[in-house]
Amino acid sequence: MSIKGGGFEKSSKASSEVPSSSLADIAFLLLIFFMVTTVFQQDRDRPIEWPEAEAAEKIDEKQKNILNIWMERDGSIFINDQPVPMVDVSQIVAPLYADSERALVISIRGDRDVPYRFMDQVQQELVAAGVVRVVFAAQMEQAMQRERR
Amino acid sequence: MAVLNNKKSKVSDEVPTSSMADIAFLLLIFFLVTTTFPKDKGLGVVLPEPGEEAQVSQKNILHLIVQPTGIVDVKRGESTQIQQMRPREIEGLWRQEVSANPNLIAAVKTHPDASYKFMMDVLDALHTANAERISLQVLEN
Repeated sequence: MSIKGGGFEKSSKASSEVPSSSLADIAFLLLIFFMVTTVFQQDRDRPIEWPEAEAAEKIDEKQKNILNIWMERDGSIFINDQPVPMVDVSQIVAPLYADSERALVISIRGDRDVPYRFMDQVQQELVAAGVVRVVFAAQMEQAMQRERR
Repeated sequence: MAVLNNKKSKVSDEVPTSSMADIAFLLLIFFLVTTTFPKDKGLGVVLPEPGEEAQVSQKNILHLIVQPTGIVDVKRGESTQIQQMRPREIEGLWRQEVSANPNLIAAVKTHPDASYKFMMDVLDALHTANAERISLQVLEN
């Protein structure tokens, strides 16, 4: 080929720009990769029937500052998916409460048919652990439902 | 044009897909921003500090004794008179009582065999009536 313009023309066929057309595809691939490989912490729900309350309020606290204590109908207790004997509750809760700098809120998720003796024991244990803020978890009850009962 | 049969048009016959990714990202970001996770709900109580025991005059206490049947026995302070109520009637009762005595404390005493839900019904009624001074106890004989 003959050299045009005496060889001074510097135009090249290679683009001077970063090829950005496939950027979105790469981003999507990354997104899908992380979606597929993400494993959520297995936080299995205990099979309980919630008590209902009309005055139930949202727990105004960060998720990491809420400790759930599950209580089944037979009085068995689960903290962080681990079965815990009743007498050990205060020993387990006290260090967690200290770690959170007394910001921890205990959410007691009891079955509606738990005999109250177990609830009282848990409350005694929590008092012994020095916990102050406790929430009895409940489902929101509509006024309509209440009339029918 | 010189050639009559030339059907080439400048309008592309393909769907423009170059902006699809941008639209997808916009949708993604929209849903990311607008998603809210349901917060846990419940009735909050404040437990006393260990070893903290307050002496309260009997006349400032409204005893609410929750029986295993869900019926609530209402007893005012020192009087031995017992009034039986259903949990949902307590809201009205509390509003009435607290307007007569603002220092009133609700002492919810639940029978050990009573279901937790009955205590919750009473606590719910007290919360609905804006009661702040509530004591939760187990019924002792």
